[in-house]
Amino acid sequence: MKRFSWDEMMNRYPAFFAIILLVVALIINFILQPNMFARDTLNSNMRVFLPMILLAAGQAIVILGGGIDISVGGIVSIVNTILATQVGLNGSPEKMWTFVLVSLGAGILAGAINGFFIAFLRLQPIITTYATSFLYVGFALFILPNPGGGIPAEIANVYRNTTPLGLPLAFYVIAVVLLIWMYIRSTRFGNYLYAVGGNAEAAYETAVPVTWVLFSTYVVSGFMAALAGIAITMLSGSGNAEIGVPMTLTSITAVVIGGTALSGGIGGVAGPVVGAITLGIIQNIISFSRIDTWWETFVKASIIVVALAAPGVINLLRRKKV
Amino acid sequence: MQRKPLFTILALIMVVSMVLAACGTPATPTTETQATQPPQTGQQPTQPPVESKGPPFTIGISNPFISSEYRTQMIASLIEINKEYMAKGLTTELVIESADTDVAGQIQQLQNLMAKGVDAILVNPSDVNGLNATLQEAVSKGIIVISVDQELNVPGVYNVGIDQKEWAKTSAKWLAEKLGGKGSIVLIEGFPGHPANVARMEGVDEVLSQYPDIKVLAKDTGKWDEATGQQVMSNFLAAYPNLDGYWTQDGMAIGALQAVIAANPAKFPVGVGEGRCQFLKLWEEVLKDRPDFETIAVANPPGVSPTGLRIAVNMLLGKQVDKSKLGGVNGLSFVIPVPIIVTKDNLQQGLEICKDKPDAYLLDGIMTDQEVLNTFFLK
Repeated sequence: MKRFSWDEMMNRYPAFFAIILLVVALIINFILQPNMFARDTLNSNMRVFLPMILLAAGQAIVILGGGIDISVGGIVSIVNTILATQVGLNGSPEKMWTFVLVSLGAGILAGAINGFFIAFLRLQPIITTYATSFLYVGFALFILPNPGGGIPAEIANVYRNTTPLGLPLAFYVIAVVLLIWMYIRSTRFGNYLYAVGGNAEAAYETAVPVTWVLFSTYVVSGFMAALAGIAITMLSGSGNAEIGVPMTLTSITAVVIGGTALSGGIGGVAGPVVGAITLGIIQNIISFSRIDTWWETFVKASIIVVALAAPGVINLLRRKKV
Repeated sequence: MQRKPLFTILALIMVVSMVLAACGTPATPTTETQATQPPQTGQQPTQPPVESKGPPFTIGISNPFISSEYRTQMIASLIEINKEYMAKGLTTELVIESADTDVAGQIQQLQNLMAKGVDAILVNPSDVNGLNATLQEAVSKGIIVISVDQELNVPGVYNVGIDQKEWAKTSAKWLAEKLGGKGSIVLIEGFPGHPANVARMEGVDEVLSQYPDIKVLAKDTGKWDEATGQQVMSNFLAAYPNLDGYWTQDGMAIGALQAVIAANPAKFPVGVGEGRCQFLKLWEEVLKDRPDFETIAVANPPGVSPTGLRIAVNMLLGKQVDKSKLGGVNGLSFVIPVPIIVTKDNLQQGLEICKDKPDAYLLDGIMTDQEVLNTFFLK
């Protein structure tokens, strides 16, 4: 039997620290809010976290491939406005399904536009997606200039209140996302993804189709952003072209807290999923700890900074010891 | 290689949730901070149902935007007014959820307030429809929900605020009359599409349609931001140096006036101002050089929220609302009168109020408990 090695755990399992963080956050939240695991509370929390979980999973794929996608919030907005204007408050379930498919198509298309610029034209990901983010939010504003519209309350309630076997819908979605990721990870594409993110030139030399791999990461991210857009539309039941804008930076924070390096090639999808949940739990902790109103933003930001810095600090201390 | 942690996570999530789901649905009541309160969920059958609960009541606040003096003053005066009721043993400390956040974040705020078992929620909504389902859930739990500052159309949700349209009409009418019913003006509006801005601009259009000799040369958005307002006004002054007047609204009026001062035209246009101390002081400065300068400040009081708190407390005490006094889209709106309008005649009175207040202070008005009872409740 090998002794437990912190370094090995950190290196082999990038989600390791994220899980520790989540468990700590869960324990603190549970102490402050003893009914947090009651079915209703758990479900109401998870349905709020799910859009960010989906968004972070997509963002993780792009970041693993060495890029970054700042346009995800814009894609969320497009999907939200499509559903809110086309389905309407009195729409039928069939209409909803139709436009869910249209939305997914729109997400894939938006991702493909990003991918085309970045993979084929070799433009900088951060600038490209920053620019397209305005393109997408602008398009969403064009679809729905004033907040309004929505989807039927019954359909929104399916999202809000479905708890098969007493577990929130979000758990099943997370399980499906992780299972698909596990499968992808085991395919050749999975290996290519890490190769491209780690060192694109070396990958190219070894005949990895770098361009196509890069392109596909943005398509996946667009698709996941569309799913996030569908989820948040079902959560809020209404349309607002600005809805996705604040979500972009949070998705990147979730990825980093989840142990996936912005440099690319290191990490996975499970960590970012855990990171997105942790960010939500942190908000709960702030809310239940009854800190003074004027300090809320400061305390929340401090916790996130500490969470981001912790793995680095631990590594630094360990290096000094040796 | 990568598989192990994934299984770990899956297993962790499943195990944790199953164990806890098995613990039974309404686990422990969330009253750790309000030990005197009966729990909201019926775990202890001896407790009376929510409706017949007696004081002290717990009131929750949900505010998704903190970067404005309006919101700061709103929260501060809510805390202040609540102390009155706390001293009488009618309420406990307010449960305040206030941070810059998005729709999902405000839904989380509201859910947390429900989980904390509050008796009433005052919400300043970030989105006109996005919170509907969540607010209805709160109403169905027997919580009194009041939307302050922003009117919502949700069954069971009360609104407390000024009439935005009337508010804008007051200053628009004043402007039209000061101009003698003729002249050329420009309009600077807030966020296009924001419900308050839409209502206000409707009011302005309504007033101006009665004055066919007033020409609107241009209209642009100042985004409720001082700097943007200044920039837009500068552009207007450059394009139309002989402007007779301008209409704008709070947040941007200081910027607009500063643009006028900077451009220093031969004749200052008649402009609409705002009920902020900084504006009144600037106004006083301008009058020293230009004694015939005309402007108006109609207060947009953050005090509607503490007035809403008073309404909530009285409703919780079981007093009956006089439904005939309510208005609005769904007949559930408490319309609060504008507390003060400052013109040249009573500028000194306004400046008197501002004497010991910071520049950012907004002219305010909070109805007293007695006024609230007389105005909105059955005797």
